[in-house]
Amino acid sequence: MSEIWVLVDKAQDTVRNVTYEVLSAASKLKEKNGATVCAVYVGDNSGAIEADLGKYGAEKFYKIENPALKDFNPSLYAAALSEVIKKHNPDIVLGGNTLQNQDFLPRVASRTAAGLCLDAIDVDMSSSSTLQVKRYKYSGKSIATISFHDVKPMIATVRLNAFKPTEGSASAEVVSESVDLPSDENYKVIETKIIPKERPELTEADKIVSGGRGMANGENFKVVYDLADSLGAGAGASRAAVDSGWVPYEMQVGQTGKVVSPNLYVAVGISGSVQHYAGMGSSKVIVAINKDPDAPIFQKCDYGICGDLFDVLPALTDEIKKLG
Amino acid sequence: MKILVIVRQTPDTEAKIQANSSGNGIQTDDIKWILNPFDEFAVEEAVQIKEKTGAEVVVLTVGAERSVDAIRTSLAMGGDSGVHIKDDSFADMDSFALGKVIGSKIKSLGDIDLILAGKKWIDEESSQVPIQVAEELDIPQATLATKVEVDEGSKTVKVTSVIEGGEEIRELKLPAVVTVEQGINEPRYASLPGIMKAKKKPCEEVGVDGINSDEIGIAADALGSAGSRVKTDNIEIPTISRSLKVLEGNDVQQASAELAKLLREEAKII
Repeated sequence: MSEIWVLVDKAQDTVRNVTYEVLSAASKLKEKNGATVCAVYVGDNSGAIEADLGKYGAEKFYKIENPALKDFNPSLYAAALSEVIKKHNPDIVLGGNTLQNQDFLPRVASRTAAGLCLDAIDVDMSSSSTLQVKRYKYSGKSIATISFHDVKPMIATVRLNAFKPTEGSASAEVVSESVDLPSDENYKVIETKIIPKERPELTEADKIVSGGRGMANGENFKVVYDLADSLGAGAGASRAAVDSGWVPYEMQVGQTGKVVSPNLYVAVGISGSVQHYAGMGSSKVIVAINKDPDAPIFQKCDYGICGDLFDVLPALTDEIKKLG
Repeated sequence: MKILVIVRQTPDTEAKIQANSSGNGIQTDDIKWILNPFDEFAVEEAVQIKEKTGAEVVVLTVGAERSVDAIRTSLAMGGDSGVHIKDDSFADMDSFALGKVIGSKIKSLGDIDLILAGKKWIDEESSQVPIQVAEELDIPQATLATKVEVDEGSKTVKVTSVIEGGEEIRELKLPAVVTVEQGINEPRYASLPGIMKAKKKPCEEVGVDGINSDEIGIAADALGSAGSRVKTDNIEIPTISRSLKVLEGNDVQQASAELAKLLREEAKII
């Protein structure tokens, strides 16, 4: 029986939602190839999560547990997963496009001589045996359809929010796998710092408010933050605002910054260059606020207000708060 | 100490991307090519380490004839020499094959202590090649570095990396692969004397016969797309179809109330 594996992403004791999204992607493939959907945990201790995984479509649950996997180490994680892949020969291995998966799955691909596609926005089977994914190339400027050759395993990560979790009724059968891991003298974690963020991470945010050249200085971003907070949104910026030193580069959205696809993107004082649009053009709804009626962004938005952002933003923030 | 920077030539960020006639690539006629913007940070970091330690900086790329310009730009910023892997057999390689070919070339160079790269190629939207090179060479890696401190004495590099929700400090034994985050430094502009000097710096051209394919366990004719595991079938340019409802902002209160209402009732997004 062929298998599709889904990597489990956990935060403390709970399974992160992205895992359920990817299980949903796997269930779509299962309809084409009839494979068994399996959740796969790599780490030091999974806890009792098989019921949750089963509820979202996992029929089997491989636990790859080893004390050496307590801290994330890309080489050891790759060694552990590759060993179990070689043992069970799954057809397909999927994971969320998390930083951790981006970090160690390329090593797994090289170790298992597998194809690898990161950041898929859709997955399908081009035949009963080969995986096909859609993903952006040239930032948001093009969507490529990529086929795997028929060499197993086929490995892909799936963009966050690309699939909706679907509840199934399977119960996951637990299979424990033990792996021998050499101690790794080449890689040591010295310190891990969790830095509390005031607002959602741009790449995970459901809504984003970004400011551009029209903000004129860093202090003026307060009106952007106020609107963002009224919406529970992340706060971003255009390259012009970052290059001017008004806000840190972590906030940059665009082809040379972060590529985002929230449900709502509010572009404030942003003209809408090709470069910027490439980083946010896949957003579901785009709102533009700009005083220049000829700004290109007004040809690329769903809604807009042509007016002075310093008048519009406080008023809009109040209206959003009124809606509650 | 010897540092190797893996760079990529990409279309300019302002370039208009259009599918070519075969549908699985892009039209390249009118494209201006640049050094991948994220690689500028890697080259700058290498040159800064060189300025502190006297390290030698080698710049490597895989690509068509024109890609040598990405090497020349990097040499003008302060790199010492280039390696250009450019055989036609290497066209259309995926990251698996690229990892093998680049890894094999680095092995034959022999004495590389640190491999640096940008965090992502803006054309392929790919971040995996430097990591696959690390796996081929069986050396450690740290990605998204915001700080890189080399200790030549202990042959280690201390890297501060962006992780989900924060940052992590890691110590890697050299040789190691490090990809750098945007903003780790301010890449310098190549000066005119720098550009003049770069033209005279050595750049080795490597063809298919320059790659020891036995060592990487694949036949010479399986280098390139034949050794790849994935291929691009189709490139599609998304059309912009947006509703373009732009409200006049003369009465700010009214326009804001109207927009909030549209977002709630029509777009159902708030």
